[in-house]
Order: sequence, then C-alpha cells, then structure tokens
Amino acid sequence: MTDQDGYNLRLYVAGQTPKSIAAIANLKKLCDQHLNGRYEIEIIDLMKNPALAQRHQIIAIPTLIRQLPEPLKRIIGDLSNPEKVLVGLDIQPT
Amino acid sequence: MSELVRDVVTPSLINDAAETIDAIHHGHVDAVVIIKGAEGPQVVLLEGADESYRVLVERMSEGALTVGPDGSILYCNGRVSELTGYPAEFLVGRNISTLFEGEAPELAPDVSLETNVLRNGQKPLPVKIWARPISISDTTATLVTLTDLSIYRRAEEIAAAERFARSVLEQATNAILVLGPDGHITHASSIAENLAERPPIGRAFSEAFPLARSAADAGILGRVSEESLDQMLVTKPFHGVEVRLRSERFSKRAYLLSAGPLYNERKSSVGSIVTLTEITERKRAEEQHAMIAAELNHRVKNILTVVQSLAAQTVRSSKSLENFNSAFSGRLKALATAHDVLMQTHWTGIDLNELLTTVLAPYRSPGEERIRTSGPQILLPVDAVVPLSMAFHELTTNALKYGSLSVSDGHVDVGWQLIDIEDNLIELIWQESGGPMVERGRTAGFGTTLIDRVLTYDLDAKTEIDFDPEGLRCKVRFRVLGGPSCLHEERGPPPAHAATPLEDSRSRQFQLKR
Repeated sequence: MTDQDGYNLRLYVAGQTPKSIAAIANLKKLCDQHLNGRYEIEIIDLMKNPALAQRHQIIAIPTLIRQLPEPLKRIIGDLSNPEKVLVGLDIQPT
Repeated sequence: MSELVRDVVTPSLINDAAETIDAIHHGHVDAVVIIKGAEGPQVVLLEGADESYRVLVERMSEGALTVGPDGSILYCNGRVSELTGYPAEFLVGRNISTLFEGEAPELAPDVSLETNVLRNGQKPLPVKIWARPISISDTTATLVTLTDLSIYRRAEEIAAAERFARSVLEQATNAILVLGPDGHITHASSIAENLAERPPIGRAFSEAFPLARSAADAGILGRVSEESLDQMLVTKPFHGVEVRLRSERFSKRAYLLSAGPLYNERKSSVGSIVTLTEITERKRAEEQHAMIAAELNHRVKNILTVVQSLAAQTVRSSKSLENFNSAFSGRLKALATAHDVLMQTHWTGIDLNELLTTVLAPYRSPGEERIRTSGPQILLPVDAVVPLSMAFHELTTNALKYGSLSVSDGHVDVGWQLIDIEDNLIELIWQESGGPMVERGRTAGFGTTLIDRVLTYDLDAKTEIDFDPEGLRCKVRFRVLGGPSCLHEERGPPPAHAATPLEDSRSRQFQLKR
C-alpha cells in the first residue's frame, strides 16, 4: 500500500456506546468490501484518553477522519449508510 | 442522511456546531466532547444511563469484549489489555481468534469453554470464555467475557493444600497444633482437640492444655510460667520434654512436648508446630523391661546358688569323679528341663501331669509301661516347678539305680489328690513296686536328702520317705498357692489311696528305659 492509493482512517469512539460499536463494525465491513486491504484503521477511544480529541477538534462521537489520501475528510455518525460513507471518503464502490 | 460530510481543510466553528447539532438531532452520535476549563476535553455520553454501565464494564475483573459478526473486536475493556498485555488500540479491529492459543474457540451462545489466551511476552494464560449474541443498533454483535482461571486454579491449589493439611491433622496419631506468631492456636488435629480442656482454636497453648504443675509431674518445665511457656513454644524449638496434663481425664498419661518453627515460602517464621506425643505405654514397657531385667538377674543368681549347692553336695556324696560326673550332669539336666518348662509356659506354671511327662521323657521307652500316673488336673505355680522337677529326677534316678526300675518287672505309681480344698493341700505319693527288696533301716543318701531339702525349703512341703521292703514310698504334701483357680477339672476319680493308683483304670502310664 502506498500513500497514493491507500486510505488512512482514524475513528474516534467513546468506549462501547452503541453508536461507537456500530461505527467500528460498519467501517470494517465497508473497508473489507471496497478497499481490499488498501486501508489502515486507527480507533481512538476518547473515553480512555479525551485529550486526543483536540488534534482533530472532535466534538461529536463517533467521528471518522480520513487522514489519507488528502485532503482530510470528516464523517460524523455511526457510518450506517454505506453509500454516504463511500461518497464522503471518495471511494469507488467495487 | 445519516452522516454529515464536510471538508475539514478549512474548518469552521459555526459549521462544526451546526453539523454536530444536526447529528445529535438525527441520533447519529451518542457522545460529545466538551472543553471543561483547565481539565481539558471530556467525553459526555448523551445517554446518561450508559455511564454506570460503562464504568462497571471498565472496572470488572473479567475481560469483556464486543465482537462483530466477522469476529473483529469492536471494543475491549481494560482487563482484556491486562490479560493479554496489549493496549486496547492494538486489539480493536483484530479478529478475536488471534487472541487464543491453538484453534479458535467457537463462540456459541451461553456456552462456557476453557482455553489459553496468548500474552505479550509471557506464557499463555488459562481463561474461561463465555459468549452471548446481542443487537446494537442495526448491528449484530457478540459479547464475550474472559475469566482468568489462573486465579481460580491458584485458589483451588491453596484449597487443596488446605484440605491436604487438614487430612494430615485428622489422621495424625499425635496431638498436633499449629500456633500463630502471637502464640494462639490456629489449627489442631483431632487427637489434640480430644486432649484439650476447651476448644483449642484461638486460645494460647497453656489455656487449652494446662500442664500439671506439681514437682513430680512438671519436670524441667516446673519453673517456667504459663506465659513463658506460651512464648517459648513460638520462639524456641525444643524436642521431647516430658509433661503431664492437668486434666483429670489424662492425668495418668505421660506426653512428650515438642515445638518447632513454622516457615512460610519466604523462609520467615510465621508461628510454630507443637506436638504432644503420648508415651504412657512406652514408659510402662520401659518399666516392665527394667522389672524383668531385675527379676532375671535375681533368678540367675538363684540358679547359680542352686548349681553351686548341687555341685558341693554331689561332690561330698560321690565316691569317684565318674560318679560325680554322672550324678551332677543328671541333676543339671533336670534343672535345665525345669527352666525349659518355665520358659515354654512363659512363667505361668504347668499342669502337674505335664511336668511329670516332661521330666520323665528321657527315660521313656516304647512298648514299656513302667511309670503310671493318676490324679486330678492341677496347675502348678511357677515356684513349684523347679523343686518338683528336681525331686522327680532324684526319685527316678534312685529307682533306676536301686529301686523298682532297676529290674524289668518293677513299676512306679505316682498318684496325687487334693486332700484339703480350702487349704489347697495336695498329697502326692511316689510308690515303687516289683523291685528288689529294700533294706529296712537304709540310710538316706544325698538324693533323698536333696528331695527332702528342696521340697521342704523351696515348696514348703512335708516329705516322708519310707524304705518299705516292698518298694520305696515317698509322700509329699504341699500347697498350691493362688487359690482354687489353680485347680482344674479332674481327669478321673483320684485313687482311694494314692499308694494304690493301679486300681484307677484311667491311670496314665509311662514307659521307662533303663
């Protein structure tokens, strides 16, 4: 995977709130289906370390940040609508 | 639209706020981050009831995970990180099967199974897995808990060790006590509990087992106060101090008190082991042994005196060395036979008829009936065995040399009867017949002198020896000490007169050889 074709995603969650768990599950499912290993997911639990919220100015949880490829993109919510997520992340459905 | 998407290259606080409110309004988020003064960002759950649940899950002693339908870990609490050695960030997103050693466990609903969880840089840890499917929003997930079995197994090992120690105490034949560092009893064997004046657990030794304090019983602990003794039992090892308990129930029993330090795994003293070993029987056996040794010493001296006397008197009455040798050897053999009888009967005495059989056995010869005996069964006391054996030997020797047994047609009849039941008085008559004519007025030789002396002095008997021309007659009257228990059922009616035992059809007959 290279920086050009890979996706570096960071998902901010709050412990195991329903929306957080749903967001993790939905994101993994979507990436497995459409990115075929061309992705890295980093899950940040703000319940354990709230200070990490400052870096990306997280206000609502869950929030997904696409770090790569640039530009940075943000999706707020539990990622339960895959079409909207694909659009938001600029991913071409396979 | 369930997600709010926007470019964050030029973030706008106004847009952020609007989008956040919109997301909350549509229920797409369930937590927000607020800035709380100097404390910095804090997460606030929009559903307050979740907070206690979240804290509970984070603090629980079991590992807790939420697993997606594809097996990927969606959430894990801090305990999972402790068990595996990996941070939650590392674990979330990985497949749960990668946590375990060997084949991945099947997460069937509500089924507990045991496996080993892999640990970062350490040996795998035994865990019990429990799983249950749940539905979170629109997602099906599985709740999984991991229970650290090493704690339980350690607890089981400790419990097993405790049961083992308890069974040792239960089965121990000695009184065994475990004392804590403060001197109080923490464990007691069954024997110890029986010996205790009051329930021993929690009490000091002196309180549960007060020792006799009299000068005779206290021994070397006589000068030690109870407080000092309790202190000594925990601090100073000592072995085998003889004590007696003050309790009336056990006051006649003797015990050995011992104490030794009890060490823990770090080799530091955590109390002591105290034992009370009963030695009553051992002391009794030692005393009996000493008594037997003294008795043996006494008897050996007596025997030597008898032998010395026999030798001296045989010398005086012997005309030649050959004559002395024969007579002395015969008398020594008679003495040895008497002692054999005592040994074989464990010094409990012997039936009169059996004694005659034994003493006369060397002179028996098959096919001849030269000596006949008759009389009731009488258990002779120990003291009567040697004198009667010697007397029978002398009478037989005399009969073989000069009397009825010196010719082929001669006989000896030995009869006895109880002539005074109250006084336990026995009359025994040795009657010879069919032998050479006995000279009237024949003087008594040493043999008859010995008979008279041993029976008179050793058996307190009255002896009459009559040199009747028809045959020598020896009448002996002696008492059987020990009362009627010495007298047993009669084997047959005693003869009307002991001098004519031939009339008794049940007479026992002996065959003599010349």
